[in-house]
Amino acid sequence: MNVVLDEAEAKKLGCIFWLAVGWLGVLVATTSFAPLLPIEDPSAIATGPARSGPSLDNWFGTDALGRDVFARTVYGARVSLVVGFVAIAFGMVVGGTLGIIAGYFKGSIDLIVNFAFFALLSFPGLVLALLITSTFDRSLRTVSLTLAVLAVAPIGRLARATTLLYGEREFVQAARVLGARHFRIITRELLPVVMIPMAALALLGMGVAIVAEGGLAFLQLSVEEISWGVIINDGRGIRDLQENPHVALMPIAAMFITILSLNFAGDRLRDYFDVRETAF
Amino acid sequence: MAQFALRRVLQLILVFFVVTFVAFASLKLVGDPLFNLVGVISGITEEQCEAVARGELEDTFTSGGNIGDCALIQRAKAENHLDKGVPQRYGIWVINMFRGDFGTSFVNGDEISDIIADRLPVSVRLIVLAQLIALGIAVPWGVAAAYRANRGFDKVSTVGSFALLSVPNFALGVILLYFFSLRWQIFPSRYENHGWWSEFKALILPAATLALGLAATYQRLLRTDLITTLQEDFVHMARAKGLSDRHIMYRHALRPSLFSVVTVFGVNTGALIGGALVVEQIYSIPGVGTELVEAVLRNDPPVVVALIAVVAVGFVLVNFLVDLVYAYLDPRVRSA
Repeated sequence: MNVVLDEAEAKKLGCIFWLAVGWLGVLVATTSFAPLLPIEDPSAIATGPARSGPSLDNWFGTDALGRDVFARTVYGARVSLVVGFVAIAFGMVVGGTLGIIAGYFKGSIDLIVNFAFFALLSFPGLVLALLITSTFDRSLRTVSLTLAVLAVAPIGRLARATTLLYGEREFVQAARVLGARHFRIITRELLPVVMIPMAALALLGMGVAIVAEGGLAFLQLSVEEISWGVIINDGRGIRDLQENPHVALMPIAAMFITILSLNFAGDRLRDYFDVRETAF
Repeated sequence: MAQFALRRVLQLILVFFVVTFVAFASLKLVGDPLFNLVGVISGITEEQCEAVARGELEDTFTSGGNIGDCALIQRAKAENHLDKGVPQRYGIWVINMFRGDFGTSFVNGDEISDIIADRLPVSVRLIVLAQLIALGIAVPWGVAAAYRANRGFDKVSTVGSFALLSVPNFALGVILLYFFSLRWQIFPSRYENHGWWSEFKALILPAATLALGLAATYQRLLRTDLITTLQEDFVHMARAKGLSDRHIMYRHALRPSLFSVVTVFGVNTGALIGGALVVEQIYSIPGVGTELVEAVLRNDPPVVVALIAVVAVGFVLVNFLVDLVYAYLDPRVRSA
């Protein structure tokens, strides 16, 4: 997305960017230290009257079993964030490596890698995730790696496109003339420029991965632990929605603010570094 | 043009085979289809059967087993080609599929072609309705935003589309379900089909769930392209001729500004199919997605592979059509 801004304005990240980063920081801090904070055990039942609305004791109310929705949302964030982070980190390492190699060496390697990306992208993502999680198990590791596989192609394509864009530029040719080996050119010359657009995409991709995990939860195929998707799915039954909608709506709100922050931060970074994704 | 179409067709056929083969091969890992065919006796191994044949072992060694189990297993294996390797089975499956024979479910013995005929139309109606709603919202929205770019309405709509893109589709589904069906009771909360009108009403909420995010994407792309197009000479010319703004926007500027939307239209079909899986669950719609999830959960490989093939064919076809539309919109693509 390109938010049209004046030149001067485009070079500032803006206060909403820092607000978004701030929310993400608070979220990461809260979830990392969740066991130390004075909040309920997310699985403890009857922490208050069942199906009660938000109150001072239970900030987000309680669900049908009297579990504290606030505690569940905090602990759910742990799983969701881990899944998002692992997926994107793996996608960056594998997709980025493949993309840079393909874009740098071109020729038949490029042809094969590019077709692999094309095939991966042509598989509806959730169907692939469905296949993998049903083939193996529903552990945190499998789900994270599944989403990581899905992240490989889009990130790899961006890395490839950026490498193609810079691969024949003067600074790369200069390094080549100076006798630098391929490995050195890739790691020292190309990697720094390719990393910038990838970092912007990574923030956006983390949002996508978190949403995808939620989608899997709706198909009963996500992790056994508490994640945002799992909580929302728990609270979406007709009776739950009628009597205690906060069980689903509170985690939805938390998720929405988080995805919004990730999207906004990623988008601003992309504008800031003037990334063009359609570079071929 | 013909060469362009041919190359795309070859590429898409290749994608179809890769996708179906991956699905086919990976499903070999899921549980044991033989178990669903013959029950607990599927645990009997080849060695045990050979031992029975040699008379070293009595044919009564498993809980549900009795004389003749080995023959039963071998027949089940041969009938369903389970004794052959994966590439061979894949070959047999593809040939049968092109004859219109998808095989039968391992679990309940239903003809898979019947399942598809039953489920596919519902999903297609859902997706088509979603795309129509998305375009119906995005085109006027994009035109209105580009008409006075960077002014009040455009700024508000930028924020709005950004927020819409940040709502996961399952969350949107739950929110719409809560407000429009439970609170205000405008639409039914579950799928129903007593005639086309009731089905249409039942599909509006799920389609809107899928459409709102799409509409935001389309609106942003259309707006950007329209702003570029509005700088062109022919637009100034039309304005100089005294044509109305509405006429210029919809008759002159819109068509050349549709490229990005058309491209994304094709690419999004994959995301839309994935989204439809989830939305069908929320609103209990008996479509391909629901059936696919059920088939995976009940360990029914023939149904899963057939449904994935249907999805892959749909995806490939939509992308091919998008390429043709693309070539129609921009003559330069034909020679590319």
